[in-house]
Amino acid sequence: MAISLPMQLTVNGRLHRVAEPQGTLLDLLRDDLALTGTKLVCDRGECGACTVLLDGRTVYACLTLAAACDGTTITTVEGLGGVDGSMNDLQQAFITHDAAQCGFCTPGQLIAAHDLLVRHAAPSESEIVAAMSGNLCRCGTYPKIVRAIQAVAAARHESSATSATPGVPRGA
Amino acid sequence: MARKAKPKAGGFVPTTVEVEGRTETRIVEVPAFEPEPWTTDTPLHIVGARVPRMDAHEKVNGRARYTADITRPGMLHAVIVRAHTARGHIAQFDASAARALPGVYDIMGPGDAPAKTRLFGTEIFYHDQPVAAVCADTLANAERAARAIAISYNHLPFAAIFDDAAAPDAPLVKPGGNFAPQSPVIIERGEIAAGLAAADIVITREFRTPVQLHSALEPHGACAEWEGDRLTVWESTQGIFRTRGDVARALDIPQSKVRVIKDYMGGGFGAKNGAGPHTYVAALFAKRMNRAVRCLNDREAEQVDSGNRPATVQRVTIGAKKNGTLTVIQLSADVPLGISGWEGGPAQIYHELYACPNVRSEERFAYINASGMQAFRGPGYVEGAFGLEGAMNALATALRMDPLALRRKNFTKKDPRQGRPYSGNALLACYTEGAERFGWNTSRAAQTGRVSRGVGLAAQVWPTGGGPPSYAHVRINADASVDVLAGTQDLGTGARTVLSQIAAEALGANLSHVRAIIGDTEHLPYAGNSWGSMTTPSVGPAVRMAAMDAQSQLFQAAAAMLDTTPDMLDARDSRLTVRNTDRSMSFADVCKRLGNVMIYGKGSRGPNPANTAINTFGVQFAEVEVHLDTGIVKVLRIVAAHDAGRIINPTLAESQLEGGILQGMGYALTEERILDRRLGMVMNPSLHDYKIPTMADVPQIDAFFVAGADAAANHTGARGIAEPPVIPTAPAIAAAVADAIGAEVLQIPLTPWRVLASVPARR
Repeated sequence: MAISLPMQLTVNGRLHRVAEPQGTLLDLLRDDLALTGTKLVCDRGECGACTVLLDGRTVYACLTLAAACDGTTITTVEGLGGVDGSMNDLQQAFITHDAAQCGFCTPGQLIAAHDLLVRHAAPSESEIVAAMSGNLCRCGTYPKIVRAIQAVAAARHESSATSATPGVPRGA
Repeated sequence: MARKAKPKAGGFVPTTVEVEGRTETRIVEVPAFEPEPWTTDTPLHIVGARVPRMDAHEKVNGRARYTADITRPGMLHAVIVRAHTARGHIAQFDASAARALPGVYDIMGPGDAPAKTRLFGTEIFYHDQPVAAVCADTLANAERAARAIAISYNHLPFAAIFDDAAAPDAPLVKPGGNFAPQSPVIIERGEIAAGLAAADIVITREFRTPVQLHSALEPHGACAEWEGDRLTVWESTQGIFRTRGDVARALDIPQSKVRVIKDYMGGGFGAKNGAGPHTYVAALFAKRMNRAVRCLNDREAEQVDSGNRPATVQRVTIGAKKNGTLTVIQLSADVPLGISGWEGGPAQIYHELYACPNVRSEERFAYINASGMQAFRGPGYVEGAFGLEGAMNALATALRMDPLALRRKNFTKKDPRQGRPYSGNALLACYTEGAERFGWNTSRAAQTGRVSRGVGLAAQVWPTGGGPPSYAHVRINADASVDVLAGTQDLGTGARTVLSQIAAEALGANLSHVRAIIGDTEHLPYAGNSWGSMTTPSVGPAVRMAAMDAQSQLFQAAAAMLDTTPDMLDARDSRLTVRNTDRSMSFADVCKRLGNVMIYGKGSRGPNPANTAINTFGVQFAEVEVHLDTGIVKVLRIVAAHDAGRIINPTLAESQLEGGILQGMGYALTEERILDRRLGMVMNPSLHDYKIPTMADVPQIDAFFVAGADAAANHTGARGIAEPPVIPTAPAIAAAVADAIGAEVLQIPLTPWRVLASVPARR
């Protein structure tokens, strides 16, 4: 049985109308909206590569029915920085600390890390590890990802007195 | 400008190149000039700098396009149907129901693919062998149709493990016999009997290693599109030119009609060295339907049938004098290759890591009815290190000798196989600095409650000279921006960045003006596969030479503008200066005056130095914690000291070390493909059931490089580093576990059950 209904959702700050969402949120993002930053790896919620924000909470897009996303607000890796490709502080830290090797898991890592830093402004190393251990990386970039997250947390803490809510993605 | 005359320039000479333990002789052109080597003392500004990965921006903002992200107008989707028997024949094949389903464009089954693709025969040799393929408008429709194809089989007896294939009454695994053509492979030096007689202590052990799966997060995949008789293939591959050759050969078309493109790639680790069934399926459907077609492995296909590190059984006899001097090393190994593969066994490292006059290895390579092996990061050496280093640690215990002292005692100053001098070898410095940073001399096993700690170490050697042929071009554009063109590929290793650094350094350009253009067979000069830790030492020298050639032309052009001669010019940061004057000119101003005159430098990789062994060395130290009641092993820290000659970019190289260590840790603790002997099926084809390390498993890692430039290896002074770090990790961890539980460890992965079974009863 195919679910057939027109629905609306906001992705990275932009409103989209989707006629017949039949598959998963990941299909919708990658195939219908051409947002290929979010990756398909395991297709069953084991690896975290397809992690996106749904109404501010992380979900696996491969396990989320598109039809269940009517009226929701989605943020993908493409929405973390500016429309022009400019980067937020977390993305910049991933570059500075070489937290992406092949880069295939990176979009999911970034969304998971973003979510962690929203929930914990100053996470301990064990909190980082607990929050990020659902995101697999075969290149073994983990130590660098930890460092990048720690650096962002420290920098945000430092600048919190002078700067307003850094790193908030469009539509989040 | 640093050049040294080469009398033979322009001619062709033979040279030897070592690829993953196999030595090949190649006939190569001698470059027009051979640059003076960059030595440790050469002042370099960009090479050696911790430059951020130059393609990281696209990776963190989601714009990087991987093969799995490629779409073309009107693109169709293909799905491969796989066999449900480990051995037999297709009795009936009925695709009529599948053809009638909505969105289905085409189906290929038995007999429908050209013979040279070796696809879709009626005889089945392993479970999950491709037997058919479906092409549809959407992936979902293709998958639905694939499930609707009805296939029945006449089942035949099969062999899914080495012993079943090697048994006297074994079923025929495939035509031609159950053993690989070269099997048994025997390599020996000296006399084993003399070595045994000379030994004061001899020990014998049997080691077992599992099948490890590459598990790259981006699956194998291709998108194919024809324009007339010309085919373009986007492929996630470690070798664009090899893929081009495979496709041209299989489809019987000229290489000039095939273009292979690879931009970003989500890991390879050795499994993506050429075209595969997905490539041919995409290309064939694209031809038949006159539409672009994409074919990607799903995760299950990726885990069951895209290559693996084969299992080994290694029976090792090792003997030494009381003072630790090795007198004999003997290996007898069994390796089940799967249905295909090459003789990449564990023996090489037994012959290469230590000075020992009497060494003999005999490797038996059997085919079994299972998916074929492929090279996996450090192939053979990773497996062999577990046996050799395990035996060395057992020997050290038997000798009551410090395992590090035993290794120092048997350090070899020359390549022990052929007696060649090394281009460079800082293994002793690795031992010293690694031991110091680890605190080896003060680390002792200790038990707190039911948790026991232990330490261990293992060493590593790996051929990393790289070699020709490899070409590069460096083009200076009219605005002084610089293109580096090389037909290589970046797997996530950092090749784009490293080659840009070399070009910027050699040209005297500002790095931000330099861009490496790679991964396209149609527009780029040849480079070989990115395997065998070869890209930096193979392509790097060609890039440097091309940049020097471009610089030479730029100097010629600018000399008149600056009222001087080319030999009086220096370049740095995209600015020319006349030596001993204050006259200078930016590259941009020179290029502006030149207009569209193109400065186009060419470079090629020269022959390897004759009679020289080029290797990367290293040692890793591990500290683990073992819970004696649960058998759970936690790796606390790894100290890794490696000598890879000059490091072009320390940040990226450290990432390679950390990544290798973590893959080695997975091999030691959790990674094992489970193949059911009775069904011939892989029982854990998912990332849930096949466990790769997560962030929660990561120990404290202190990974670093020892030594400086290796000017004798090639003129950049850099050797390879991708594979060496994965080699010693598992034996180091196993040694630490053995230290913690007070019993030897002979088999990996060290699952809790295996550890519990090894813990002595008294503990």
